[in-house]
Amino acid sequence: MSVHALEVKDLSKSFGGLRAIDRISFEIPVGGLSALIGPNGSGKTTLFNLITNLYRADAGRVRLFGDEMSESGDWRIAASGVVRTFQTARVFPGMTALENVLSGAHRHVRAAPWQQLLWLGRAREEERALAAEADALLELVGLAAFRDTAATDLPMGAQKLLEVVRALMARPRLLLLDEPAAGLNDGETAELALLLRAIRDSGVTLLVVEHNMSLVMGVADEVIVLDAGAVVARGTPAEIQRNPRVIEAYIGQAEGAR
Amino acid sequence: MNAATQAAVQIVIGGLLQGSLFALVALGFALVFRMTGVINLSQGAFCVLGALLCWSLEETLHLPVPLAILGAALASMLLGLALGAAVFVPALSRLPNSGMLMLTAGLLTFVQGLMLVSWGGDPYALRPLSGEAPVQVLGVRVPTQGFWIAGTAAIVIGAFWYLFARTTLGKALQASAENPTAARLMGIDVEGMSVMSFGLAATIGALGGIMVAPILALQFDTSQFFTISGFISVAIGGMGSFVGAVAGGLVLGVAEQLAAGYISGLFSNALALGLLLVTLLFRPSGLFAIGGARRSDVREELHIHPAIVRLRGRGAAALGIGMLAVILALPLLVRDPGLMGSLVITGILFIGVLGLDVLMGFAGQVSLGQGGFMAIGGYVAAILATTYGWPPIVGIALGCAASLVCALLLSLATMRLRGHYLALATLAFGLVVDSLDVGMMQTTGGPSGLVDIPSLEVAGIDFGSDRAMYYLVVALIVVLVLALVGGMRSSFGRALMAIRADRLAAGALGINVARWKMGAFAISAVLASLAGSLYAFYFHYLSPEMVGTQRSFEMITMLVIGGEGTLVGPLLGVALLTLLPTLVQSLALYKILAEGLLLVLAFSFLPEGMFGGLARLAARLRAPAVAAGLEPRNEAR
Repeated sequence: MSVHALEVKDLSKSFGGLRAIDRISFEIPVGGLSALIGPNGSGKTTLFNLITNLYRADAGRVRLFGDEMSESGDWRIAASGVVRTFQTARVFPGMTALENVLSGAHRHVRAAPWQQLLWLGRAREEERALAAEADALLELVGLAAFRDTAATDLPMGAQKLLEVVRALMARPRLLLLDEPAAGLNDGETAELALLLRAIRDSGVTLLVVEHNMSLVMGVADEVIVLDAGAVVARGTPAEIQRNPRVIEAYIGQAEGAR
Repeated sequence: MNAATQAAVQIVIGGLLQGSLFALVALGFALVFRMTGVINLSQGAFCVLGALLCWSLEETLHLPVPLAILGAALASMLLGLALGAAVFVPALSRLPNSGMLMLTAGLLTFVQGLMLVSWGGDPYALRPLSGEAPVQVLGVRVPTQGFWIAGTAAIVIGAFWYLFARTTLGKALQASAENPTAARLMGIDVEGMSVMSFGLAATIGALGGIMVAPILALQFDTSQFFTISGFISVAIGGMGSFVGAVAGGLVLGVAEQLAAGYISGLFSNALALGLLLVTLLFRPSGLFAIGGARRSDVREELHIHPAIVRLRGRGAAALGIGMLAVILALPLLVRDPGLMGSLVITGILFIGVLGLDVLMGFAGQVSLGQGGFMAIGGYVAAILATTYGWPPIVGIALGCAASLVCALLLSLATMRLRGHYLALATLAFGLVVDSLDVGMMQTTGGPSGLVDIPSLEVAGIDFGSDRAMYYLVVALIVVLVLALVGGMRSSFGRALMAIRADRLAAGALGINVARWKMGAFAISAVLASLAGSLYAFYFHYLSPEMVGTQRSFEMITMLVIGGEGTLVGPLLGVALLTLLPTLVQSLALYKILAEGLLLVLAFSFLPEGMFGGLARLAARLRAPAVAAGLEPRNEAR
């Protein structure tokens, strides 16, 4: 059996009496761009939070690149190469755009704190290299001019892009994006589509939660549809668009849909 | 009843009496916490204020006792309402929880300063309400004042119950506490209710202080004792729960008396801290927590948008070299020995504040115990050098090591806790160190201090003169500032700032929040310890109040008014608060008052501190040297 980037098996999570995630199983192949869609409240963000260890699952397991997910510590998930963004952009206030992107590189910094305190050549060189990498990423998303601007002074669309770039700076193997197009205008969304393809083509596996259907149908290799905490369909964008269960989940015409 | 049992009964009764006092203070804490989600450190100041007011009304105006008590309680309530309406409640919508905590520390300092100016530093005692003669209860002698304390506590608890269970005002308070938004929609004046809770808490505190003043002499800084006892009571009882506050107070009172009676009075503070830590670790919601006490989760942490002050490249180098040139030239210009001494002290304190800046300005963690680490550094180095004749440098190193161990243990113990438990644990830690300084007479010299500490001598060079010490301290500061600038501009500093800004997002990027917080805490503790050692060698003398909790609060004020997160900015704050009282001697009495006032005002009007304000001004004037490296300021929200 080949190793999957993400393998979710019989995962369940309840909040009080509400079953947010109900025995979900699916897997994401390495190198793909998968989209996770579903109506509001279908459990997409809860699933993200389970995968990134912000919530503890009631049952089931998550495997990341074949390894069982570690028990505790949200930072360990990132250390294993799985990086996420948040539904509302969470750029760091009080830091410039460049510093925000640089903070993504944290897990790759080799110089020890004491070497940074002593301004050792090795530490300074590493800083310069990281800054060059961060500048290139800012350039890629057209934010180079704002590198020294406070991140929270950027417009919402730019903050969303900044957050994606910050996550990229962590050089993830699997990148989880939670509604990257929310708050973006049409032009920015088109740029985002290009960015997502470029990320996939660079070898990073992507799992994207998204409401913008034209974006999803345009970039995704595979679409997973969630409804009421369960996977109701999966397939290529073309298959999903024809799937009656998906149409039902979204339009909700049939009585027994929920 | 045999003697042992009798002694035990005596201790337990004493504990219950002391506990009812703690319960009163704790009720005030619980009320404000429940209404606003803020731990109000100024609570204890109102206890002392009430008692001092009552003393003046009795002794100076010769009012009859009941009228004096009523007047003192009313005056305390008025001051509480005024501070609540003018400072505390308006800040709620503007400051994050850590800012609110420091703001209340500022209020505590302010009221203490007010009392120092009005009543001086002497202890005051009121006359007992019903004579000196104790009564016999269960065969043990109990001062009649004890019944007044317990009775007052019972009446206040009864009034609380009546207020919340039977009156419309109580319902409105309750509604504002449970769900401020919904209460607002129902037409309840939530801000007014918060002000009301602050005033009520002040009144309750004042009553407690008035009742205990006949058996416990009070002075302005006894406030800290009330604040910490009340806080520990409410924390072990369950934050925001009234029943928990009372129960926690009684438990703490009895436990402290048992420790004092059977072990030593020295350990009663340590026991209180231990009790607090154990409770927080195993029952974070408190021993007696009941439903509806989770107020801290309701108050959402505000995402602060601090001003960004970054000096880079040539701008920073020019500013740094300019500042250094002035600093190096100062001893040649200053002729007055008193002023020269103050310059040395400024430098020494700045080392400690520098550590605080890493912890607070970068990592966003509040420490109220910086004085405790100064004390460890000071006493370890001074005792080893004075009593045992060890070389000063070894003492300094061992002091730093001891502080490091304490810091690591404290942060390990509080690591899993959210909110501001580290801050409160550091406050308790500072007070424990304080009580050890005072209590261990044989080694520390007790309250009168350790004398005949030798001069600092390193590798045969004697740093006994002001000028030699000054240049040594400046050299240390240059090395430390350069190192910290290097660290804070690298991934180290970015990790700390990310944690301060958004710990969840920081964790998602692979930043181990607990580990880096611990690192920042360790740096702050070691630098405080170093400052404490230098302080002791410079003065040839060290007493507990030189490195006490007042010092911790003062250092926070220096940092905030200087400019957090800028490393060099705090120097302005340290210099202002150290040099001004020397230059204008008549101001010395007003120092504490001014510190409290400045901290409160800085939070309201200059959140980026003097350095940030100057940088902004310079950028506006487009002064070439500074504007070259200064980014546009981030307008708050």
